Amino acid sequence: MMNPFVLLTAIVAQAAEPAAEVAADAGLVAETLTPVATGLAGSLSSYLVVSGILFVLGVATILTRRNALYILMGTELILNAANINFVAFARFGSFSIDGQMMALVVVMLAAAEAAVALAIVLRIFHDFGSIDITRTDSLRD
Amino acid sequence: MDFMFLVFAAVTLLGGLVMAFHQSIVHSAFGLVAALFGVAGLYWTLGADFLGGLQVLLYVGGVTVLLLFAVMLSTRDSTRMNLSRYVLVAPIVGIVGLFVFNAYQGVSEIVNSLGSELTEPEPTSARIGELFLSPDHYLVPFEVVAILLLLVLIGAVTVARRGQTLSEESTS
Repeated sequence: MMNPFVLLTAIVAQAAEPAAEVAADAGLVAETLTPVATGLAGSLSSYLVVSGILFVLGVATILTRRNALYILMGTELILNAANINFVAFARFGSFSIDGQMMALVVVMLAAAEAAVALAIVLRIFHDFGSIDITRTDSLRD
Repeated sequence: MDFMFLVFAAVTLLGGLVMAFHQSIVHSAFGLVAALFGVAGLYWTLGADFLGGLQVLLYVGGVTVLLLFAVMLSTRDSTRMNLSRYVLVAPIVGIVGLFVFNAYQGVSEIVNSLGSELTEPEPTSARIGELFLSPDHYLVPFEVVAILLLLVLIGAVTVARRGQTLSEESTS
């Protein structure tokens, strides 16, 4: 488990490196004026890399598992990746707080979705004795 | 700020990896907890304090408990992934990931060219409350979400209960 971690950190660092260089080239004047916008946390692309990896992990989970609960978890991961994008663009673009409002609505809808979906999963388990999505292939008889 | 970003990004990605690739579903659920908490931390590094708190309350506290509850009630069958399907799916996922990263690169160049300056993060709760309750901004989505949550409450109880009553009728 240590190897992918090192790899991912390297990827994140590499992706954010050009932005850091640009920030360094901008000179000391800008740095003294805006002390907030430096480094990894000050560049949009590092957040986008994290969100992209999260999105791909969610897609991989949905496509490889046959258990309905895994598919729900993958959906949550994808929704969170989209939310990171909303908040990151709201911070780094010239949109004020609207991205956070979108993300708030998405979080609430995701909670509602999880409640309904888990109720349905319980019902499927009750009817079929299994939540394997390849076996729940018949309508109610 | 930078150090906190690295910590939270590592927590998020590690949690996501554990969730995607661990064999045991309980381990996967806890990997999801870690990933969701890391996302909350990323919100905090982005200056979204209220959203991060809500993420911890709703996701880490609520959705995960629901998930673990469902796991407890309904995992008699296998949770392992089959490797053949994984080999089949890997190119699809790779292509999707390439598209996503390309799109991100293009969009982030556009946003960076807008050249807005980063400001010091401020507390957002008061502003969010004003926006949600003012009719010019987000009052309608707010009320729609409220109605939807009520519907979901009733609907989830109905869906989960109907199985019980039906089975009781059929057994008695």
